[in-house]
Amino acid sequence: MSYTTFNAKNFDSTKEPMFFGENVNVARYDRQKYPIFEKLIEKQLSFFWRPEEVDLSADRKDFIDMPEHEKHIFLSNLKYQTLLDSVQGRSPNVAFLPIVSIPELETWLETWAFSETVHSRSYTHIIRNIVTDPSVIFDEIVTNPEIVKRAESVTKLYDELINLISVQNVHGYGVHHINGNKYDCTLWNMKCKVYLTMVSVNVLEAIRFYVSFACSFAFAERAIMEGNAKIIKLIARDEALHLTGTQNILNLLASGADGAEFKEVAKACEKEAIALFAEAAEQEKEWAVYLFREGSMIGLNAQILSQYVEYITNVRLKAVGFDEIFPSRQNPLPWMNAWLSSDNVQVAPQESEISSYLVGQIDNTLEEGDFDDFDF
Amino acid sequence: MGNQTFYYQYEPSLLDSLEAQDIAAPYNCRGGYCGCCKVRLLQGEVQYIDEGMVDLKEDEILTCICVPKTHVELELPDE
Repeated sequence: MSYTTFNAKNFDSTKEPMFFGENVNVARYDRQKYPIFEKLIEKQLSFFWRPEEVDLSADRKDFIDMPEHEKHIFLSNLKYQTLLDSVQGRSPNVAFLPIVSIPELETWLETWAFSETVHSRSYTHIIRNIVTDPSVIFDEIVTNPEIVKRAESVTKLYDELINLISVQNVHGYGVHHINGNKYDCTLWNMKCKVYLTMVSVNVLEAIRFYVSFACSFAFAERAIMEGNAKIIKLIARDEALHLTGTQNILNLLASGADGAEFKEVAKACEKEAIALFAEAAEQEKEWAVYLFREGSMIGLNAQILSQYVEYITNVRLKAVGFDEIFPSRQNPLPWMNAWLSSDNVQVAPQESEISSYLVGQIDNTLEEGDFDDFDF
Repeated sequence: MGNQTFYYQYEPSLLDSLEAQDIAAPYNCRGGYCGCCKVRLLQGEVQYIDEGMVDLKEDEILTCICVPKTHVELELPDE
């Protein structure tokens, strides 16, 4: 059946699976099959921020004063981040919205992708502030072979899934041969593709992004490019939420809570899923070598960054129920924790920029004794 | 790491309490959504002060958003 933007059928969306059930009709959030997505939406909305809030005038001077090899590290990292968020700003919508079947997940996908577009806007803000001609940097993203190589691996599964959904939308479920190409649009294969795409998204957000955050924060640890780090801190706070979202989806699918067949799919795809983590870890290590090929910086080099790749890959594997693939080690970059912690805790608004605009923080519950010590 | 004893002294969270007594406990977001501070609760009960968003097993807790309600025993990861 082809996609409809407002499903005319009368059905209970809390009985629908996350994917491949009925197309969503009423966007209602009063009752939810999975309240976690509603919580994620609320949290993401409370996190709203704008890149222009952060002043980058000192970063321009810092950048100009940097030695060439550090400029290479900083700019390559920024280009990689720009690529990742360009993909994430659109792909969850294009890939998952046509097949999603519950309103709270549909809205989470849209809220999630929207916040990625804010990240993309912040790279423009950063680049505009540190160089005179932003095109020099943006144009390189599609011409630099190292970056292009990364683009292929982060988009491959998204594109395969999107193609299958398009063919299925026109020709229905089954195996189709079109212009000499075979499209396996059986429900089983499409479920496998959704599961693996979600793993690849989790890898992107939970490993690839974190490796890039380490580079951004390493500069700020030396008290340079601090405006940039402030923006990346805000981006990292959003990404922590996004990766929790994909981990929740993966765990729900694998647990069988969303249908017995998806549990089978998760089991059947387990090897391939772990291979995606392993492949990304190898690519990130290669990337570390490229970043530091012209020289290291104080506090960070290819070896330490590679150790961090292994550490973070293990952490992420465990979160979705897989075994570690690298030897257990302590976090080789312990200072990252302070940068990754959201500063909405124990900060008075007058002391610093409060980073989450919480809403509905008034306590409306009154007990009989609450006014006992009042003199009216 | 062996056994370590700590005393909860009304810190804002269990994680703060561990840190105040120099017990290395994992953390990242300190807001209940990244899952890094997940530890096993071997004994006792905790009270949540914020809503977590992480998929937890029955015996797992997020130290950044809870405080002890009773005497507690935790199993911290090796680092």
